[in-house]
Amino acid sequence: MVNIGAASTTRPGQVGLGVSGLTVAYDGPPVLVDVSLGVDPGEIVALLGPSGSGKTTLLRSIAGLEKPASGSVSLGERIVSDHRVFLAPERRRVGMVFQDGALFPHLDVSRNVAYGLPRAERSSDRVTEALRMVGLESMAHRMPGSLSGGQRQRVALARALAPRPGVLLLDEPFSNLDATLRLQVRAEIHQLLVGLGITTLFVTHDQEEAFVVGDRVAVLRDGQIAQVGTPDELYLRPADRWVATFVGDANLFPISSHGETCATPVGTVPLSSPPGGPSEVLLRPEDLAVTDGDDGTVELVEYYGHDAMVVVRLDDGVAVRARTAADLPFSRGDRVGVAYAGSGAIVLPV
Amino acid sequence: MVWRVLTASGNPLGLLVERRTLEPLWRTIQLATLVAVAAAVLGTGLAWLAVRTDLPGRRFWRIVIPLPLVYPSFVGAAAFISGLTPGGIVHDIFAALGMDLSLRLHGLFGSWLVLTLFTYPYVYLPVAARLSAMPTSLEENARLLGDTPGRAFRRVVLPQASSAIAAGSLLVFLYTVSDFGAVHLMRFETLTQTIFRTRLFDQDRSFTLALLLVALALAVVTAERRVARRSAPTEGIGDRYALLVPLGRWKTAATGACALVLGLALVAPTVSLADWGLLPYLDGRAGTSLRLDWADVVGPTWSTIWISAVTAVVAVAVLLPVAYLLARHRSSVGGIANGVVVGGFAIPGLVVALSLIFWTLHASPFEFLIGSMPVLVFAYVVHFGAQALRTAQVAVTTVPQRMDDAARLLGAGRLRRVTTVDLPLMAPGLAAGAGLVMLSTMKELPATLLISPIGFRTLATEIWNTYEASFLAETAVLALVLVAISAAMTWLLVVRPGRFPA
Repeated sequence: MVNIGAASTTRPGQVGLGVSGLTVAYDGPPVLVDVSLGVDPGEIVALLGPSGSGKTTLLRSIAGLEKPASGSVSLGERIVSDHRVFLAPERRRVGMVFQDGALFPHLDVSRNVAYGLPRAERSSDRVTEALRMVGLESMAHRMPGSLSGGQRQRVALARALAPRPGVLLLDEPFSNLDATLRLQVRAEIHQLLVGLGITTLFVTHDQEEAFVVGDRVAVLRDGQIAQVGTPDELYLRPADRWVATFVGDANLFPISSHGETCATPVGTVPLSSPPGGPSEVLLRPEDLAVTDGDDGTVELVEYYGHDAMVVVRLDDGVAVRARTAADLPFSRGDRVGVAYAGSGAIVLPV
Repeated sequence: MVWRVLTASGNPLGLLVERRTLEPLWRTIQLATLVAVAAAVLGTGLAWLAVRTDLPGRRFWRIVIPLPLVYPSFVGAAAFISGLTPGGIVHDIFAALGMDLSLRLHGLFGSWLVLTLFTYPYVYLPVAARLSAMPTSLEENARLLGDTPGRAFRRVVLPQASSAIAAGSLLVFLYTVSDFGAVHLMRFETLTQTIFRTRLFDQDRSFTLALLLVALALAVVTAERRVARRSAPTEGIGDRYALLVPLGRWKTAATGACALVLGLALVAPTVSLADWGLLPYLDGRAGTSLRLDWADVVGPTWSTIWISAVTAVVAVAVLLPVAYLLARHRSSVGGIANGVVVGGFAIPGLVVALSLIFWTLHASPFEFLIGSMPVLVFAYVVHFGAQALRTAQVAVTTVPQRMDDAARLLGAGRLRRVTTVDLPLMAPGLAAGAGLVMLSTMKELPATLLISPIGFRTLATEIWNTYEASFLAETAVLALVLVAISAAMTWLLVVRPGRFPA
């Protein structure tokens, strides 16, 4: 997994971000319940969750656009929001990029970027500098309406970065872009953020995006943090069944025994730890090998180029997903065998 | 206002049920309903033809169809009547053909015809805007699911446009209810006539009827809101590749229908006015010479323009905060303010004027205001405020909350946000709102007649006075000036931006 951020040096001026015991409620049930999360200076943390899980609300609470019911938010040493203090968003020194960029349509690119700068700096080199960072210095006098979606997001980023914010917040910044453009803009912005070493919290509902860009990923579910960890921790050692299936494909089978191994529809599987109660075993598709054999029938093949996902319907009726190499010696309808090829499966409590 | 009626009248309930009260009420309802229905059919049909079919010359029709809006209904009525009288162009043409056309437009039919012709744009504009904003995928899906174009129109397009049609028809209904000039010329005594006639000698009756008129207007507004709340049209951006219904062999008939409507609503009155206004210069017909010099045209023109500009600016300045409150903060204060302002539009200008006269006469601290400019502007703002409010509201909501959030996070305080983000983004919408108020103010007659300061002459009052005195040539010249100005305004505000804030 990508983990360049941790290696980059933290620039001066970057502060950490701390959220502790944050609860946000409107009229109905609370949107966020007792959320605590820390982002180290210079770190990129992805906030991953399905829609309605409260991730945007968390971002807006940190920015000061929502008023939490309880809990505190601190930027570096400074508490910006708790039961006594509530610093207005314009005084928090937080940069934010919105889903659609939210560029001011009546101002050209350079005046958009200059908007957050102190009056004296607005005509200085800082604007050009910020535009150069995102590779758009030639677009300084274009109007936002004439830019492409990717350009707009990069201008929005330049605008957020120009005033040298202590913390950068990104709200699903790539979700309005189409697939190919999204990968390209994502790679560019990722590189830029890592290079700048800026403390970043970004919201996404796309598991792949969270893993690719985040040094760490916080998974949010129903207004609560389900798990925080590096991408590989989340993928290989998910805290529970829900996280396991949310961050990737999963074959889950109930465990009936209590020993070091357990019997599954794909044979006996060694366990990484003995189960302590009713549990399930997690077999990722990469852990399964499709072999010559007679365990089941190939029901579906999803071919991705770098590899392929094969759905095999076993003879006892269970369907399993296995990831195989790009050269496929079988096709739909063939009889195949399925075997466990990993070194020890994770046990999840039910 | 209720207080005024209760204190002023001896037996309001008795008056209410009297025949002399009920008859004008019945006539008013009859006329307003007929006009609203006819305008709804005409406006919707034309909108559909211009937006959703392959009508030849669509671009031209789209520009021309809303133009009858420039005619104040009383000017239109005057043009129709004078065109048909001996000496009028229509009468003369028929006479030249050897026919004695003694047709006189009057009564219910005349009022209905004239009001329908000059108010259908109130339906056309919102419906056309709605139809062109409606995602074509809806209609396409209906077709793919087996509907003929006609059935798709009835089952998908009409329900989607219904709220726009209802809103437009409501405007037409209110316009008709409060119309004074056209029905007067057509000798059709509606409530406004009775109120105007009895305002001096039978104040009790006048005020009671005024209250009745207000109640009628408010009842209709409330009913419309109730219905409107239930339907929520699908939002979407109009497709560039809109599916156009081929008219086929109906093409000629459709073009003919458009031409007929515009011929009646735009060409006929203009020609009739031009005929009356210009012929005296050419042949001195009927012994008339123009009793009108430059100053008589320029003076009223100038006062018309500046009073309506002042009204527009005041209306927008007063209503912008209300619009802001409504769009950004859902609060009961905003709701009440909204109700008050919208109610103001429902109240006919005549009634607004009467109540202001009452207040300035009977409340001594305001006595010095009798017949002063501020009172006139105030009356206009009360009456036309809703138009500015609607557009201001649209303008406020077009500035997404995210813009404001983005500016805040960039360190901008409230004042800076308002001046650098909100106002510049709202400016076009606010200008359109101001323009609508200006346009309406120019065409307003009864309130101007009643409460304008002595000696203050606008184009509308001058047209009225010269027509009442039968100086038709003078009427025609002034009317053409008014129509030209409001045509220019309409083009700037309504046709050019291609949208109508409904």
